[in-house]
Amino acid sequence: MKRRRFPRPIWGSDTLASGLAVGALALVAGFISLPILSLVLWTISEDSWRAMGSPEARDALLLSVRTTAISMLIVISIGTPAAYVLARAEFPGKRLVDALVDIPAVLPPSAAGIALLLTFGRFGLLGKYFDAFGVTISFTTAAVVIAEVFVAAHFYVRQAAVGFAGVRRDVEEAAMVDGAGRLSTFTRVTVPLAFPALVAGAVMAWARALGEFGATIIFAGSFQGVTQTIPLAIFAEFQTNIDSAVALSVLALGFAFVVILAVKYLTRRATEYEG
Amino acid sequence: MPFHRAFRCALAVVACIVAVAGLAGCGRGSGGGGADSDGSSEEGRGQQGGTLTVFAASSLTDAFGELGRTFEKRNPGVEVRQSFESSSTLLTQIQQGAPADVFASAAEEEMDTAVEDGLVQGSPEVFVRNREVIMVPKDNPAGIREFRDVARSGVKLVLAEEGVPAADYAVEILGKSNEEYGSGFKQNVLSNVVSREADVRSSVNRVVVGDADATFGYASDYTPDIRDRVEVIRIPPDLNIIATYPIAALKDAGDPGLAQEWVELVTSEEGQRVLEKWNFEPAA
Repeated sequence: MKRRRFPRPIWGSDTLASGLAVGALALVAGFISLPILSLVLWTISEDSWRAMGSPEARDALLLSVRTTAISMLIVISIGTPAAYVLARAEFPGKRLVDALVDIPAVLPPSAAGIALLLTFGRFGLLGKYFDAFGVTISFTTAAVVIAEVFVAAHFYVRQAAVGFAGVRRDVEEAAMVDGAGRLSTFTRVTVPLAFPALVAGAVMAWARALGEFGATIIFAGSFQGVTQTIPLAIFAEFQTNIDSAVALSVLALGFAFVVILAVKYLTRRATEYEG
Repeated sequence: MPFHRAFRCALAVVACIVAVAGLAGCGRGSGGGGADSDGSSEEGRGQQGGTLTVFAASSLTDAFGELGRTFEKRNPGVEVRQSFESSSTLLTQIQQGAPADVFASAAEEEMDTAVEDGLVQGSPEVFVRNREVIMVPKDNPAGIREFRDVARSGVKLVLAEEGVPAADYAVEILGKSNEEYGSGFKQNVLSNVVSREADVRSSVNRVVVGDADATFGYASDYTPDIRDRVEVIRIPPDLNIIATYPIAALKDAGDPGLAQEWVELVTSEEGQRVLEKWNFEPAA
């Protein structure tokens, strides 16, 4: 009955509009898939699969896995309680802290690299004290981890805070009335309820850490097996051997697919929880 | 109703085809655009306009920057755009179809490849020479006093990426030095490398910032603005390698006349004077 109130659409204009919208979507999909296709086509036609097994590629892959694993360990162990405070507590300056957490996501990674260099470099604000004790950070794997944590922490903390905010307070309070302590309420009730959001946040943060380039190359430098992660290896190989640069890019592309699929799956589960 | 749905499906398929065709058209369109800009630059030459794109080794940054301003002054309306990166990166970009008019390389090897690939117009000309030096931070944390000190263990040495001329020359120098300082010398130096940078200027900057103890650079990289932060250590002349820089106009140059003019300016007396001012050595 309600439909009658609207003027009956002219049959042609309706389909035209939806046709154009579909066309726009096809344009977006084509724009993204063509470069991906080019990568894959080049790999097949130039037979550059072999380059994936080169020592440079293997070292880069291992280093990327190792550094991102450590980064995620740090981000999750510190980010989880931090996100909980951000989601639950009210304190003076909360807005400022809230904005601060977002800055690394907006800052160009190269600017982040310069900032880290001026902090932890040999003559940096903190670095000069480290240097006095014989500890240098630049050009070490530790520098790679610092860069990754700096740029990726935001993605986990933000998502985890949203997840924690979605856990109803009365559920937590009920657990405490039943005799659970604050800590066990957090680990046994709050974290499991927010778990899909935590995992989704961790996967996004991991992906960001894996793709980290600008901050790493400026702050940590580039050396095979020590600071040359996959994105840096792509850049280095581009100077001498484009085939292996392409092969490494395809490898990164494979990672990207896995990450996206994982996030899609987990966020769907998260919404199912809520619903 | 089924008819209606079928029609929508058909429309969607048509839209997809149109979109793909549109994309393909864009690809072709930009090719046509190239032809167009050819036309406009020809027109532009009449009014003394146009753009000149120079791809030059990163060690040429300051000298070519100055020559670019001279060129623009001489050719009113012409804009000189320059891209300074390692010669190896520039070569890859040119091979991938980057719109460069002139290529100035820090080594013959990259230029030879460009010639072999049929990218160069005419034959390249060596226009300048350069000498490698060691650069250390002014406070010299590793206490490097002479060339052979870079082999001491614990020195944080930064080199440019493999394939970058400055780094390849450095490795060549180390090979020669083995005869002088003993067979382990080259290996000792190379095991001190803590980072490989994209080009020679980036590796010099590691010393400027003070995070590296030493790097191999060109004499011309010791520019006035880093003199208060960097010290130069000479490499013994009999071990040093003289880098020769070839320049050539490229086949795909948008305006071959302008490209040729740039080569002439660089090889002219005035061009040579500017290059010498920036610590380069004359070609002949």
